Amino acid sequence: MPNCLVIEDDAETREYLCSGLRAAGYAVQTEADGEQGNRRLQETRWDVVVLDRMLPGQVDGIGILEQMRARGDGTPVLILSALNSVDERVRGLRAGSDDYLTKPFVMSELLARVENLSKRSAWSRDVTVLQVADLQLDVRSMRVTRQGTPITLQPREFRLLEYLMRHEGQIVTRTMLLEGVWEYHFDPQTNVIDVQISRLRSKIDKDFAPALIHTVRGAGYVLSATPTYGPVARPAG
Amino acid sequence: MARSRARPGNAAGTGGGTGLRGSIAFRLAVGYALLVAVAMATLSAIVYFGTVGVFERSIDNKITNVEAHLVDAWSIDGRVGLMREIDAQLHDLIDTDTEVVGLVDASGRVLAGNMGRWTGDLPPSGELAFGQMLRGGAPVSVRMVATRLDDGTRLVVGRDLIELDAIRNVVERALGVSAGVSVLLAFFGAQVFRSLLEARIGRIRRTTARIAAGELSSRIVVMGNDEFARLGDDINRMLDRIEALMDGVRHVSNSIAHDLRTPLSRVRSRLDRALQASTDPDALVADARLAIEDIDSVISLFDKLLQIAALESGVRAGTFEKLDLAAIAHDMAELYEAAADEQGVTVRFAGLPTTIRGDRDLLASALASLIDNAIKYGRSGGRVDVAVELADGSPTLTVRDYGPGVPLEDMDKITRRFYRVDQSRHLPGNGLGLSTVAAIAQLHDATLALRRAAPGFEACVTFPPP
Repeated sequence: MPNCLVIEDDAETREYLCSGLRAAGYAVQTEADGEQGNRRLQETRWDVVVLDRMLPGQVDGIGILEQMRARGDGTPVLILSALNSVDERVRGLRAGSDDYLTKPFVMSELLARVENLSKRSAWSRDVTVLQVADLQLDVRSMRVTRQGTPITLQPREFRLLEYLMRHEGQIVTRTMLLEGVWEYHFDPQTNVIDVQISRLRSKIDKDFAPALIHTVRGAGYVLSATPTYGPVARPAG
Repeated sequence: MARSRARPGNAAGTGGGTGLRGSIAFRLAVGYALLVAVAMATLSAIVYFGTVGVFERSIDNKITNVEAHLVDAWSIDGRVGLMREIDAQLHDLIDTDTEVVGLVDASGRVLAGNMGRWTGDLPPSGELAFGQMLRGGAPVSVRMVATRLDDGTRLVVGRDLIELDAIRNVVERALGVSAGVSVLLAFFGAQVFRSLLEARIGRIRRTTARIAAGELSSRIVVMGNDEFARLGDDINRMLDRIEALMDGVRHVSNSIAHDLRTPLSRVRSRLDRALQASTDPDALVADARLAIEDIDSVISLFDKLLQIAALESGVRAGTFEKLDLAAIAHDMAELYEAAADEQGVTVRFAGLPTTIRGDRDLLASALASLIDNAIKYGRSGGRVDVAVELADGSPTLTVRDYGPGVPLEDMDKITRRFYRVDQSRHLPGNGLGLSTVAAIAQLHDATLALRRAAPGFEACVTFPPP
């Protein structure tokens, strides 16, 4: 069970985070202020940290993060902030955070991102042949086959599939896809990603069974051989 | 001039009643009068010394010449020669009525010449001085020099100053009169000056008072092309801008009220209904889900507004880096290609690598907005062109559709927050897309030009030359 530290001063948000993460199978500990949080970070090894940007007291989220990185602590950190300006996001990422999410947030998006961070160490870029069920993708030769049949993909479709396969069984949101595949961070607000996925789906799933790319309502997509995917799909409690 | 102010200014809109010393017009007028007085005094001094002074010096010259001549006669022929020369001097018919010559012995007796009784001591030897002397029975002022000779007598040479006094009188009277006239002129001129200034300023103050009272459309009547006219123009321009901004704020707040109230009241009624029919768990879930969607749309609206505000404050420019505009445009064209295809629209991209300084994500979101608009509103045209090129050295980004375009009367309003063209109200959107694009362009020192493209609509962002 991955352990997760939540440092958040707002009691209600802390509760919400705690219950959501626990339901998703994390062992969660919480802290309400920066100094306590900083101590807890040094006491235990964490798989992932959810850190509020604005905290009462001497040291705020960015300060904690900078101290962590200065100590050589590479624990994945997701910054949570009500500061929506793109500038703030850049500051957060520059200070060494691995991801940034603005409040108010959707739990499924947060879980998808936390899962992505906690499993980051699990998957490696060194793997050059990815396999999910009968779907195989060779990163080097850029070949994709399903049940041994070659599938022709556009370069972007290839990268989209690679991203989904590298996050097999994890929910990935539309903004995560835009960041991971197109490397842009903004909210497209339209269905562009959905259309891209449906194109990919028509090539990967249309002529084969079972379907591998699944839509998770209100959250995003997941690539999985079994439709029981990810922690979010399980109703909380 | 009054250096201290009678009171610290006067509240606008209270009409006249400015203390005399607090009036800038009065102070200017007094300053002007003083300036006139100083000019007059300088001129008078020059005139006075140019006339009276020159005359005085010429008298002194003549006295010294005669004295030198007589001393010569003394040194050559002694007292006899001197007597002869004095006599000759007094009878040569040159200046004889003003010349004064005399030889005075040690006891003060006049031995020769036309010298009358004098008052006081004679001046020390060799020194030109003024003195009083009786001539023809009347005391007159004279200019004279008394030279002590070897035998103890003194030779007195001088001039009656009656002519000089006459000239001095004339000049002094003229100067006095002109000084009086100039004081009067300065005084009345200052009055006129002051009332003119106050009339011009009064016009501006009356207008600003009306505006302060809420009559925001009031403007200063501008006449001529002087400083006040220019000031009036400036104030009018400022008022235009303020009025436009206030209109904008009013429009934005009306729109926020509308765009927020609608989803919020939907949420409310939905939750209300869910509470009443709380027996059906499926309906509850469905209502909650819809409520969340509505709240999300409110949040996204807020995010957009905050983003525009943040962009307009310009803080982001610090994170700019060198990047290829064409690469971003290509990525975005490609991103939207599939979605456009579903709507029967082809997205084409043309352009060569073009370097600008900017923010990659913001530029991408601006492009996404423009391409999204072009697909949404120009759908009937079936085609969207995205181009990056150098126009006169300036990197230029163009997104063009071939749809029905935007009506002319809406062209300059479509970048306003929440503004939506009537014919497009049925399409999804919040009227913030182009406002955001405009704000992003502004942050990049770029200009956003929106044009009708016959057929279609064209958005063109021109960046500063690298």
